[in-house]
Amino acid sequence: MYGWAGQRLRVDLSKGDIIKEPLSYEYRKKWIGGRGFNSDVIYNEVPPEMSPFDPRTRVCFGMGPLNGTAAPSTGRVTVSCKSPLTGGFGDSNMGGHWGAEVKYAGYDQIVVQGKAKKPVYIWVDDDKVEIRDASHIWGKFPRDADTIIKEELKDEDIHIVLIGPAGENLVRFACTFNDVYRAAGRTGHGAVIGSKNLKAIAVRGSGGVKIANPKEFFEICNRLRQKFKNDPMKLALNEYGSLCLINYANRDGWLPWKNLQWGGTPLANNMSGETHSKTVLKHREGCYACPICCGRFTEIKEGRWAGEYFGGPEYEHSVPTGPRVGIIEDANDIWHNARLTNDLGMDGIETGAVISTAMEWYQRGLITAKDTGGLDLEWGNEDVVDQLIQDIAYRRGFGDILAEGASRASDKLGLGDKGQYYTIATRGMALPGDDPRGLGFGYGLSFAMGTRGGCDHLRSLCCLELSGALYPGLNTKYLGDERPAKPTTTVGKPYMVYYEENQKAVVDCLNVCCFTTHWSYAVLTQDQLDYFNTCTGLDFTLEEFLEVGERVYNLERAYWARLMSGAREDTVPERFTKEPMPQHVDYQTNVGATLPIGEMLPKYYKYRDYELSTGFPSERKLKQLGLDYVAEDLKPLRKKYMSEAEKKKRKYYY
Amino acid sequence: MTVMTKQQAKKFAGMDDFFLDLLNLLKDKGVINNKEHRVFLLTGFEKLVEHLEKNKVISSKDAKNAMKNGFTSLVYSLAK
Repeated sequence: MYGWAGQRLRVDLSKGDIIKEPLSYEYRKKWIGGRGFNSDVIYNEVPPEMSPFDPRTRVCFGMGPLNGTAAPSTGRVTVSCKSPLTGGFGDSNMGGHWGAEVKYAGYDQIVVQGKAKKPVYIWVDDDKVEIRDASHIWGKFPRDADTIIKEELKDEDIHIVLIGPAGENLVRFACTFNDVYRAAGRTGHGAVIGSKNLKAIAVRGSGGVKIANPKEFFEICNRLRQKFKNDPMKLALNEYGSLCLINYANRDGWLPWKNLQWGGTPLANNMSGETHSKTVLKHREGCYACPICCGRFTEIKEGRWAGEYFGGPEYEHSVPTGPRVGIIEDANDIWHNARLTNDLGMDGIETGAVISTAMEWYQRGLITAKDTGGLDLEWGNEDVVDQLIQDIAYRRGFGDILAEGASRASDKLGLGDKGQYYTIATRGMALPGDDPRGLGFGYGLSFAMGTRGGCDHLRSLCCLELSGALYPGLNTKYLGDERPAKPTTTVGKPYMVYYEENQKAVVDCLNVCCFTTHWSYAVLTQDQLDYFNTCTGLDFTLEEFLEVGERVYNLERAYWARLMSGAREDTVPERFTKEPMPQHVDYQTNVGATLPIGEMLPKYYKYRDYELSTGFPSERKLKQLGLDYVAEDLKPLRKKYMSEAEKKKRKYYY
Repeated sequence: MTVMTKQQAKKFAGMDDFFLDLLNLLKDKGVINNKEHRVFLLTGFEKLVEHLEKNKVISSKDAKNAMKNGFTSLVYSLAK
């Protein structure tokens, strides 16, 4: 067998069972790996009505056939579960080296189910798998627990997935890390892992990955690495990390300021990649097999947080607890907040989103100091943000309410539809630090359609919109038209999003980093197909390859359909459709823009072959994708979704 | 090969989102079959142009122009 290890490791923490299940040739061809394997397990083994904290629920770690090979940027791991934040389908992925190590240990996927009686961690040492006591590391920050486990196992080269205190305390947006700082941030699987009394999965693998056609495979890898040398996106990411986007976001009006009431701030350069590199950058570090090396380490040198040191930050990790909550004057506050969410094990996006939402409720008088336990939720109040981050992680006071996520917190506080208006979320998940009135209407459409909730920039990853203008001809190559490269137009966006969603889904099955797709022009879909085929020895055509992405996307969409979530929920926060983007920076390019989501949705449904009334994938489409059993599942639900009782429900989460 | 009228080409050229409609028209005219319709929907514009050139629906020069100037150029080629 080439590429794949050929087996799934399943660990049942209730029974103490450790099971190795072969993954058949047909199964591997159907789902490829990573997100595909995980989505299949979640769809078939976790009923939609099951609580995300039910011991029977699953959390899946999926690798792809390229993990552990020399193909560029193939260090990703997909983590999937039924999301405690949204109640729907959830996944997120992370870089680092853990995925390659799991492949070397001989597994393509790890599925954890059941619940241990006391805190444990799983130790995978090639064939040998143990469930070990973790009482002594429960409550510890990931970096401390990582050190202790490595000392205990007497091997500093092992790689470990960990949760922090927030996961243990079932914060609904707790996340997972590997190699301490590489986070799978979104959808709250850290809390699902915590609910199982699982602290960590440590892995040592001594095997390798067999390549079907090594000569061709390495030629392709070398060619792609050469292309990267002069790629403008690669150069910017390497030099400044994803913070390279800050000044662009500010200019184009998509940098969130005060819960996305504005799309920029005159002081944005305080936290730009350029400023970060000059002031607090300690060193750079790449994930497994990555020619880009966008990762950075930060050491704060001055002020109240002097001496703090951590891995990061990323754009999406620093913007939410920075400008989104009105903090910009002292960037050290932003780096500190990012360090704190890392140590506590929380999704930085959701943490900043829930705090900024609460600040807007406070600004508009929907809540007062009586609700917040006396906290003054003024914009930019770093003392309060610092305290709230910790209170959320440990579920103390007002933080305990915010630990539920913005949509649930709004209901707990009895704020009704007014409260929900300011949550800036879809299907219970906060949108990331990207305002679609500036970032682009394609992104806006993908926020409405994301199969993990409000989703983020990584579901459809509209590179053709984000960086299309940097690479003339790219939009024509795929879409036949250069006009869609302009962010604030609806032209070509329905097809763009359809194409990008399928493409990104298959990238997530391979577990290749999104920066190594056509985000840069260095690696295109055909290149990925070429190294996939030469690695595995298969002979997929381009359409077969992309069809896997379409299959995965529709399976996830069907999971939501089973929760009665469809066309009525395919929307974006009303702020984007009703409030024209105000001017806050004099050079801003998108003043007055609103997101015309209604123009794009019907056309997008046609590309997807979704029913216009329900938004469910048509029976024809599901059967075309080999998902006949899913078509059967949805058959009785189509009528139910259109019933008057369902139409009356306002569904902010599930 | 004339696949559409100049009037139709003009209509296409004015569209904001043309691809699915163009594939549907090509299928209705028998230029591509059901399977090919599906293939090009998944793989995009360039693959469609390559196919049309390979099957002599458009000339090599038209194909080059289509990849340079986009779908407007293609639909007028299909109306020749």
